[in-house]
Amino acid sequence: MDDKTITRLGIICSLTGLAAIYAGALSTRPRITPIASLDNGFIDLNVVISGHVVDFRRHEEGHIFLKLCDDSGGVVSVPIFSRLNAELGESIELLDVMEVTGEVVLYQGDLEVVPDQAGDVKVVHTPPMKLSSLSGENAGIPVKVQGTIVEREIVGNGNIILTLQEDGGQLSTFIPYWITDNGLPELHVGTMVRVDGWLQLYDGKLELRVVDASHLHLVEAA
Amino acid sequence: MLELLIYILAGVGLGVVTGLIPVLHTNNLTPFFVALAAGSSLVSLNIAALIVAMSITNVFISYIPSTFLGAPEEGTELSVLPAHRLLLEGRGYRAVRLTTLGCLGGLLLSAAVLLPFLAVATPAYELIRPQMHWLLIFVVLLMIALERSWTGAAWATVIFLLSGMLGLLALDTNFIRGDAALMPLLSGLFGASVLLPSIVGGSALPEQHAENEPLDMRANAKPLCAGTAAGAITGIIPGVGPSQGTVLAQLATRSSGTDEFLVAVSGVNTSKTLFSFVALYAIGKARSGAAVAVGEIMEVGCTELVFLVGVALLAGGIAAVLELKLGKLAAKHIEKMPYRALCIAVLVFIVALTVYYSGLAGLLVLATATAIGSLPAVTGVKRTHAMGVIMLPCVLYFAGLNGSVLSALGL
Repeated sequence: MDDKTITRLGIICSLTGLAAIYAGALSTRPRITPIASLDNGFIDLNVVISGHVVDFRRHEEGHIFLKLCDDSGGVVSVPIFSRLNAELGESIELLDVMEVTGEVVLYQGDLEVVPDQAGDVKVVHTPPMKLSSLSGENAGIPVKVQGTIVEREIVGNGNIILTLQEDGGQLSTFIPYWITDNGLPELHVGTMVRVDGWLQLYDGKLELRVVDASHLHLVEAA
Repeated sequence: MLELLIYILAGVGLGVVTGLIPVLHTNNLTPFFVALAAGSSLVSLNIAALIVAMSITNVFISYIPSTFLGAPEEGTELSVLPAHRLLLEGRGYRAVRLTTLGCLGGLLLSAAVLLPFLAVATPAYELIRPQMHWLLIFVVLLMIALERSWTGAAWATVIFLLSGMLGLLALDTNFIRGDAALMPLLSGLFGASVLLPSIVGGSALPEQHAENEPLDMRANAKPLCAGTAAGAITGIIPGVGPSQGTVLAQLATRSSGTDEFLVAVSGVNTSKTLFSFVALYAIGKARSGAAVAVGEIMEVGCTELVFLVGVALLAGGIAAVLELKLGKLAAKHIEKMPYRALCIAVLVFIVALTVYYSGLAGLLVLATATAIGSLPAVTGVKRTHAMGVIMLPCVLYFAGLNGSVLSALGL
């Protein structure tokens, strides 16, 4: 066999192989994977997941650590590192619906889905719940609400209690002292805010507990 | 201290095994040690020392099979032709001696320039990080331009694009797991494709002479220094391998001889390996599988870095002696061995290991990579263009186009 024949053969084999691999890649491209089905077999694979943000923490270095929960009942961590966070055009709030494409990695024994670029993260903002629709039965679940501050009180070591009002409903919002110095916006009576947090019962009264300064968003200043 | 020494010697031993068995890479073993460190009470520092010793020793020893068997591993691929040239002249042992000199010299020089490197690495990396894709494109274009003829440049481009496309499909899709894809990719492009002609052609080796004449240190000083500098650069820039580093070093020193080449490429290789650990501290990024493992086992601060460099130097000293001893042994016995059968055995081993690690999908990747890897030799261009397998995905990643290209392909 001369070099010309080998070259031709090499090219044909290369292109055939590439076509076969392309076809294989097409058939294994990621579709939305139920979070509950993620296990160690997915490690290093790219998956697409979709679910509600049920936990949201902002790291001081600019990273965001989320937990997504979908209809399958599974919950998975999604770290968005500072570089990617800076590239994201929009804010992420608790209970937003997100579609994340990323690699499954094992970190400290837990699975995470790690997006790599801005295009891997899609956010659909969900509307806030009406204050009047909330009752004691909702205690323990994360909610997003919006309302005007009608009362502002400082208690204990500097904890803040806001009373929000909207559509005739009212809700107390508890902001612990350790987050009041951590990038909390100016909060005055008359300011309209959107708040994400967990509902809890305190002295038999329904209250929203905020766990991170980034869960409070100014909608309209007083 | 004695315990640490045992770990380092174990690392050297494993480095010899992974270095002597073509295709078997330290990356195949490091996940085991990461799991061991996480799930046992063993001292993390000792396990990190074992990984560094294994990694450095592997670089030295892998030049023995890449010289005598023609089954190179990642990073040794460009040295195949010059080393084989010496082998066919009956001077295979000289190639081993030259690479020992390059490896050891590269390691020592790298340790010597560590402080100035640390001073410039972080600002330099911050400066080039946003422009990384342009830098990589420049290196690719330079490699293609060095072909010196339009036909050569055209073939180089075709080979770069074919291997790049293969890398993109194998590394960035779900066709095969990312870590399982690398082995068949590199084994096909730089291993099986080199072995096949030896098997088909039925080549036999001439008598090997275990010559011992002193190596010209003055002539080799320049490629050694340039190789170390290139290793330092490629140690922090992803996607650029020792082969590209060597071509850059050759360009800088304007050297093209076989001896200078072997010294430079081996210098680049150990230097790159050492600096991949240094990069953990300097820029907080792991630039090799072994560095990833060390980064997972422990936080690398200044003290740990000094410790790791010390381990690398100790392991490098032992590995240099072992490379010479084993190389002499190989030179003495290789001609008596059935060379063709040996190459077939290595090829069978590559196929078996691919199926074991990557399954049947890996076999398809291996076959395609072998077909692409056979093109440089028959078209007369440098094998290094096949490094497009890593470089093209890297360029797209740093340009932020990775997802867009895959989406455009419907993936």
